[in-house]
Amino acid sequence: MISGSVIHTENLTKSYGKHRGLVDLNFDVRSGEVFGYLGPNGSGKSTTIRLLLDFIRPTRGRAELFGLDACTNSVDIRRRVGYLPGELETYANLTGREMLTYFASLRGRIDWNYAEVLAERLNLDLSRSIKTLSKGNKQKIGLVQAFMHKPELLLLDEPTSGLDPLVQQEFYLMVREAKAEGRTIFLSSHVLTEVERIADRIGFLREGKLILEEAVATIKDKALRQLEMHFDSSVPAEFFNGLPGVRDLRVENNIVYCSIEGSMDALIKAAAQFEVVNITSHEPDLEEIFLAYYSSVDDNAE
Amino acid sequence: MLSNIFLKTLRDQRNSFMLWSIGISALMVFTILFYPSVADSSELDDILNNMPEAFAKLFAGEVSDFTSPEGYLNSQLFVLLMPLLFLFFSISYGSGAIAGEEERGTLDLLLSYPLKRSRVLLEKFAAMVVIILAFGFVFWFSIAVSAVSIGMHISLWRVAEATLSGVCLGLVFGTLALTLGCSSHNRGFSIGATSALGVAAYFLNALAPVVNALEPLQKLSLFYYYIGADPLSNGLDPVHVLVLLGLTVILLAVALLTFNRHDLVA
Repeated sequence: MISGSVIHTENLTKSYGKHRGLVDLNFDVRSGEVFGYLGPNGSGKSTTIRLLLDFIRPTRGRAELFGLDACTNSVDIRRRVGYLPGELETYANLTGREMLTYFASLRGRIDWNYAEVLAERLNLDLSRSIKTLSKGNKQKIGLVQAFMHKPELLLLDEPTSGLDPLVQQEFYLMVREAKAEGRTIFLSSHVLTEVERIADRIGFLREGKLILEEAVATIKDKALRQLEMHFDSSVPAEFFNGLPGVRDLRVENNIVYCSIEGSMDALIKAAAQFEVVNITSHEPDLEEIFLAYYSSVDDNAE
Repeated sequence: MLSNIFLKTLRDQRNSFMLWSIGISALMVFTILFYPSVADSSELDDILNNMPEAFAKLFAGEVSDFTSPEGYLNSQLFVLLMPLLFLFFSISYGSGAIAGEEERGTLDLLLSYPLKRSRVLLEKFAAMVVIILAFGFVFWFSIAVSAVSIGMHISLWRVAEATLSGVCLGLVFGTLALTLGCSSHNRGFSIGATSALGVAAYFLNALAPVVNALEPLQKLSLFYYYIGADPLSNGLDPVHVLVLLGLTVILLAVALLTFNRHDLVA
């Protein structure tokens, strides 16, 4: 176990009969970092978090949080953790304030003012009955209850789902503040852009296997983005051929299609010599990143 | 009312409890206000005596007359109606205790808090016990008030004992529903299976005295321990109460074991 690890797993495995589970998961989340846990839907992200919280028991292997065994010391662990479920369900018969009061009392003594502050920051009306709230507003209740006791570790499963962009910004701010206070954040997502914005390191999960654990900067460099550049007249293809980082180049009259890895500098400078009408960039989906990452790893190996 | 799981569970039930209490009280009052007109008509006893035995046993139990206060209350309330209502409440609360939260998806969030699973289950169980006892009190109180107001010659103490027997029956079935809900993760299954067992137990106890093949099996029916000793006339039979409470404890232990071990359903 790496010293300073808040989460440590050893061959953590969960099999569900025929269903995909998790296979031999080994990773460490260090104290004070924001760890982005990425993977397509159904890849096992929630399963991992549910194992860490002892909702389900591993078929094989083990997990430690704060150096405590996830199964035998679960209550002690949960005292120090704030959790946001991936599919948050709330008590429809309560108001937001009632639900948060309930959860606050289950924790024992907490600073209630802080819960009110968080609700205000997220623009959440606590006096409304939960059944009248939109999905995004319910998600805010979930966020408040996860943050309100200032836990040492936040386990957030798809935290921004349902949040509008402004609230998402506020959430990113809350994560940065938590990090600045030395707390550890583990968040799962299936959107790379979200994770790369706030995470220090990223783990890629695919079909129940952790295939990559990497600093965000490294992944950004490896990530291929699709570019489409429109010019006011047709451009010569050879002008863009062989530029650093450019792949899959295709030129059709006045439109250039390509993928780009790493810095765009050379490409943009080349394009600037013609009259540029428009540039659009598509974020690659995770699968493409995996494939790109692997092909680059293979290239290096050869 | 939101400071722990026990109190919140009670709070969640307050509306349904109030409505049911009104319904039960009305039913008890009407049933008992009807008694004076029955008490004077001895023809009713003749009807009972002329009925096919199996038929009489099925709906009136071991009652030998309709016109005495005990006979009337047993045949109208304690043989069928009251245990049925107790079963209904307890199964509905028991099945929802854990499986309800699991199906609604709120159990995940609840169990991410620093609480032992056994603690969660015991608080839910305690709330169920309180609710069943509260229903018992509503039964007793509405019977007592109406019986006193028409001057019925019945011991309110015995009425309390007979009602308590119903509470014990409710506890067993409620705990069974809780246990099945826990182990199957399925509230609907728990309700269905427990209700089916309840109905089977009722018929087994009712028909055993008249169907030779069933006779040796009567003691397998939980209804036998509820009413077999006629607590309204004779008071509670400690052995029968012990059987019901003992089973409750065993079922609770099974629920604790399964709930502590099993994987929550996402």
